[in-house]
Amino acid sequence: MRHQIQKYYPLIPVLAAYLVLFLIGQNVSGTWQLVATLLFYCCLGQAFNIFLGMTGYVDFGYVAFVGVGTYGMALSISRLAQYDLPGPMIIILGFLLAILLSTLLSVAVGAVALRLRGAYFAIATIGVNEGFRYLIEGARIWNGSEGIIFFSQLNEILGSEAASSLSNYWADIITLFIAALAAFITLFYMRSKIGFALTALREDEDAAKVMGINVTKFKILAFITSASFAGLLGASSWALKTPYVFPPEVFEIHYTIEAIIIVLLGGAGTLLGPVFGGLIYGLSKYFLSIIVPGFQLLIFAPVIIIIIVAFPEGVVGVWKSKIKNEHLKKIII
Amino acid sequence: MAFLEQLSGNLVQGLILGTVYGMATMGLSLIFGVLKVVNVGHGAFIMVGAFVTLFMFNTLGLNPFFAIPVAFLIGMVIGLFFYYTVIKRLLRAPELATLLATFSMGVLLQEVIKLIFGSEYRGYNWDIATIDIGVTVLPLTKLLACFGSVAIALILFIWFKKTRSGSAMRSVVEDSEGARVCGVNVDKTYAYSFALGIGLTVASGVLLTMFIPVGINPYMGGGYTLKAFVIAVLGGLASPYGAFFGGLVFGLIENGSYTIFALLPGVEPFALTRFLSFVILLIILLIRPTGILRAK
Repeated sequence: MRHQIQKYYPLIPVLAAYLVLFLIGQNVSGTWQLVATLLFYCCLGQAFNIFLGMTGYVDFGYVAFVGVGTYGMALSISRLAQYDLPGPMIIILGFLLAILLSTLLSVAVGAVALRLRGAYFAIATIGVNEGFRYLIEGARIWNGSEGIIFFSQLNEILGSEAASSLSNYWADIITLFIAALAAFITLFYMRSKIGFALTALREDEDAAKVMGINVTKFKILAFITSASFAGLLGASSWALKTPYVFPPEVFEIHYTIEAIIIVLLGGAGTLLGPVFGGLIYGLSKYFLSIIVPGFQLLIFAPVIIIIIVAFPEGVVGVWKSKIKNEHLKKIII
Repeated sequence: MAFLEQLSGNLVQGLILGTVYGMATMGLSLIFGVLKVVNVGHGAFIMVGAFVTLFMFNTLGLNPFFAIPVAFLIGMVIGLFFYYTVIKRLLRAPELATLLATFSMGVLLQEVIKLIFGSEYRGYNWDIATIDIGVTVLPLTKLLACFGSVAIALILFIWFKKTRSGSAMRSVVEDSEGARVCGVNVDKTYAYSFALGIGLTVASGVLLTMFIPVGINPYMGGGYTLKAFVIAVLGGLASPYGAFFGGLVFGLIENGSYTIFALLPGVEPFALTRFLSFVILLIILLIRPTGILRAK
């Protein structure tokens, strides 16, 4: 039993970081907005890391899952508001729909794209984002390019006061829980057969196959898990905070870039990496937007290139290799 | 009958646009064939070419055709710079590294252009004449762009077949170890292939502006990256000529399907065409990743 619990010690620094963030936001006035943004980035990194970090496959269409998650919540609120259901139930249904839609999309994409490897996989996924956006716009699904605005319905089902506290406070708390849950699942995978199989396939897919590992099964598992967290994140951090969705905004490839930067900066495949990545990225973006508004990417693009060339293991990767203390070694992974 | 006339008119337009699409994809296939690097930032390099044209036309008052060699040289310089600073160090790294690196190069170019020119849509007006060929009316600029693309493709073809550096490049595509053993300077071949690929891509941006003279902005490249991937995959990904013919096929599919989608009620045909190109990409990758135009 003790051994079982010890396995999960590495969660301590992750949860501690989130707790500190939460306390800062609670107690230092005027910081909640920034904390909410940082939580969003940590959560995005934590979710994306499950796929990119653990399998080594680059999914350029990742934000599509965040997008359909946003749609899940939007559809639930805008379509169910006319029935006499309790408000919280509609929100919960929204989250379930977000998971369902992102899972369905990831199964559809994964079934095709995960048969491909490396460059071919990346090429297949780079279109998912745009492909899905144009399907919604072209076939006029879910209001097509007009999008869904559900501000009034959100007020209607919860009352304007509760709706505003949900948007400004509780949505961020939910994001915090999603991030913590994603970290837990990451560690659970790392500590089980799944993690070993994924490591084997990341290092050498052919060898892993020869050893009798069902690589496709584990790839799809990581892909779906990662996608459903993205869906949840879209529902909480996007739909509940800004009650409208437009296809060009939620399927913006920009967010995939951010997710990639966060995971690489922190260290792909590490548990603590997304936390560091999210904090460093979020804070530097925040301060850069004050110093050089509109040109953050001009700074970040060369930074990614430098990271890839100079230290591909990321912050946590480098830190991990420098640790001498045995106890610390066990919890920084 | 009106429909058939419209369809054939659009197909002619598609074929002409297709030659430019093909030329715009040759660089991508060349780089993949020689270095096994997928240039995920491809569209951004096309965008650079578009801005070169814009600058030369609006500020210097020069005919877009003069922009082709200038864009090509600028592309070669950018290509060499990125090769020696980034790509060379990543050739032995996992695929993830080169994918992210080329992607970031694209973002970097976008941001640099945005810094210089701003992010609003711009355009230029080069109207010389139109030609009526019965089923459709063609602006002369589009025809010239088409001839330009075919000419560049032919020059590249001859260069590949007849020159020493061309055959060195072909040998590296076949087998880089074998080429090294036979005395080919593989590292140098990598460098100039990358530079040539980027040069061609930037030059193709010039030709593309003759089709979309008013849609030029720093983020215009994204759509072309996707199109270029579809075309490159149609042509077998590693072959520049495959890519050229892939471009022709893609131009026909794009314009043909637009005509058909326009008949359906309650849809946005333009968005659906773009969705279709994504579906085609997935289908080809799934059934025949080596390309449908390549006999194997």
